[in-house]
Amino acid sequence: MKNVRLFYTKTGRMKFLSQLDMNRLMTRVIRKSGLPVWYTEGFNQHIYINYAVPLSLGFEGLYEIMDIRLTDDEPAPENIVKQLNSAAPDGIKFLRAAKPVKPTVEIAFAEYELVFPDEGDGIYKDLREFLSQKSVVCLKKDKKGRLKEFDIIPKIRKTEITENGARLILSAGNEGNLNPSLLLSAFFENTGREPVFCEVKRLMLFDGELKPFE
Amino acid sequence: MDQKEFEKLLLTVQKPGRYSGGEINSVIKDKENIDVRFAFCFPDTYEIGMSHLGMKILYSQFNEREDIWCERVFAPWVDFEAVMREKNIPLFALESRDSIKDFDFIGFTLQYELCYTNLLNMLDLAGLPLRSADRQSLSPIVVAGGPCCCNPEPIADFIDLFFLGEGEEVDLEVIDLYKQFKKKGGSKKDFLREAAKIEGVYVPSLYDFSYGGDGTITSVTPRDGAPAKIKKRIMKDMDKSYYPEKFVVPFIEIVHDRAVQEIFRGCIRGCRFCQAGFIYRPVREKSADTVNRQAKALCESTGYDEISLSSLSTSDYTQLEPLLNKMLEWTEPEHISLSLPSLRVDNFSKELLDKINHIRKSGLTFAPEAGTQRLRDVINKNVTEEEIFRTCKTAFEGGYTAVKLYFMLGLPTETDEDLKGIAELGQKIVDLYYSLENRPKGKSVSVSISVSTFVPKPFTPFQFEPQIEKEETERRQKVLKYSNTCKKVNISWHDSSTSFLEGAFARGDRRLCGVLESAFRKGCKFDGWNECFDLDKWNEAFKENGIDPLFFSARKREYDEINAWDHLDYGVTKEFLVKEHKKALAAVTTPNCREKCSACGAACYGEGVCFEKR
Repeated sequence: MKNVRLFYTKTGRMKFLSQLDMNRLMTRVIRKSGLPVWYTEGFNQHIYINYAVPLSLGFEGLYEIMDIRLTDDEPAPENIVKQLNSAAPDGIKFLRAAKPVKPTVEIAFAEYELVFPDEGDGIYKDLREFLSQKSVVCLKKDKKGRLKEFDIIPKIRKTEITENGARLILSAGNEGNLNPSLLLSAFFENTGREPVFCEVKRLMLFDGELKPFE
Repeated sequence: MDQKEFEKLLLTVQKPGRYSGGEINSVIKDKENIDVRFAFCFPDTYEIGMSHLGMKILYSQFNEREDIWCERVFAPWVDFEAVMREKNIPLFALESRDSIKDFDFIGFTLQYELCYTNLLNMLDLAGLPLRSADRQSLSPIVVAGGPCCCNPEPIADFIDLFFLGEGEEVDLEVIDLYKQFKKKGGSKKDFLREAAKIEGVYVPSLYDFSYGGDGTITSVTPRDGAPAKIKKRIMKDMDKSYYPEKFVVPFIEIVHDRAVQEIFRGCIRGCRFCQAGFIYRPVREKSADTVNRQAKALCESTGYDEISLSSLSTSDYTQLEPLLNKMLEWTEPEHISLSLPSLRVDNFSKELLDKINHIRKSGLTFAPEAGTQRLRDVINKNVTEEEIFRTCKTAFEGGYTAVKLYFMLGLPTETDEDLKGIAELGQKIVDLYYSLENRPKGKSVSVSISVSTFVPKPFTPFQFEPQIEKEETERRQKVLKYSNTCKKVNISWHDSSTSFLEGAFARGDRRLCGVLESAFRKGCKFDGWNECFDLDKWNEAFKENGIDPLFFSARKREYDEINAWDHLDYGVTKEFLVKEHKKALAAVTTPNCREKCSACGAACYGEGVCFEKR
């Protein structure tokens, strides 16, 4: 048995897939690829897939991670990638396969690019101002669905805002994950702006030391 | 259409995966090298349309041809329709996102009557005039196929041309004829006149209807050399008939989210309420080798982990046991589960159960259809109470604890006794469960009974019968409800008002076209969906057009009345239907096609079960 970590991109039409749709798709892509994958045992056997940090519907991702298990060590990493890509639809591209270095629970940060394609540069100025506040408390649902107060500012590790886009490194993973959607809705509410369309792209996943997650 | 703008809008609606396209195995071609662009339209949501086998077959078959690009189109759900109308986005095909207005063909598949308003809505969203007479240029030609075409009259004014029967050959013949006309710049009128000469093509504008004082049809007269009788087409050799090696695999969950392998067409049974059982005759099987090979290719190309064997009555497949043995050889190691819908209670064996058991244990569903033996004889559902019990016993002893049973309410000659019989049958199945020594230990039994409202359909022996009216339907539903005293039996039924509409359109004629258009103008759509169906609007539409829907649905028809579909030939003769109707009223059954030929007329195709050795 061999654990394999897959790095892939999710772009274009694939951004309309929810996490549930993704899981269905990946199961089929893996089956089509003919890789010797491991199935869970028990009543309802299925392919074992672990997604590092699910991506919201509507976002694109350039450094997505999922783990699968192979039943033998035969396929070389480049063949794994080749076989998967031949089965994948446009918009899903596998970049590489590797032995997992760290467990996915150690993912701590994610970098996002936010672009408002229909707005002038004023909105980025407002965003910078908004993010420079000491504290912005908003309501977030916890795992049990209860609304809880949540300060987003401590969850922002780094901001880099120009007149045509914003790059933000936000807390990610199991603890204190900050979804850009939450940040955006707080931004619109806080500044009294009409919500406008924003393209969100996840560029990178990091470990606790801000190193690309491997 | 601006793609960025479009994708932005998709993010504002429910399930954008319905409209995004780009699925595995969807076909993209270079439109510069295409002669004929075909928009294959399913007048319901993506999830329903994508589950439909006929569309998958024709989509792949058309796209095998280099000169044709066939794309898929579904009815947008109401939320996205509102966005489309607000932003002036015309109805588009999923693959190219091009407006279908400029396509060569717009083809609808008609699976049920309640989708007719969606058809009009889709033409309107495409920016096309609704009526055939108002679309004067050669393209787009608006065509339709599917089971509802056996009485296409209620939509005759909107469709240029109907395909009767199976489309694999006739559709391409019409496309080839069109190519000639496109090349030489022929007119739509001349094209339709020529197309009408192809067997299986019905051009409604070439037929004049006249009506008598009592409202019934007095004559149907063809013009311009169109045939007086239009004969449906069938595929004679199912082993040679086209079957796709690939299905488009959707991203979002659809109704039947699995590979589907057809095993035969038609049905030997001849249940008198069942339109499919008559219009798809004669029965034609695929060989087990063909089925096995095609099924395997499908699973490999799609990555599906479930495959279902599709037919009208799967346990009637003569090679079921050898087929299952062959398939289990590869489905098991590949973690593919095999499902067998449409099983009958009278040939359900322990061996068959073991084979399904091998894979996954879900509920079992059977359709006795009526609560008493007398009524089951009337409808020719040749199933006895003993067979139902034997099947349930097999299932219970095999570890099943839930059984689902389908019935119909409002069948001809039905009395309150028959309704009480449904509840009694449920009770007896519960009693049977508790009488079994080796029932599943410590588990309770559940019997779900689902009761639909019977709607008489063309080309069945019950086409002469009146449909019971709304009040009577509701009274009978109550009788049923109060006759059930067992908590382990759960009876559910459907709202009766859509059945009333279905009844009028099933046996209506072209005088309903005006009603349909009025209803569409009032905003009727998705009539098969409870949250959209608006009975008041429909009643207004009937009233405004001076049409009584009950004239079509609730009236007893004499044998010599000219029905709106009598000029269409589906193989089964009217004489046979009359004979079957008389036998029904006398509660006399008819043996199935394999036991004895009853000379229904379908043998005229020269193939299938009619020529098997008995």
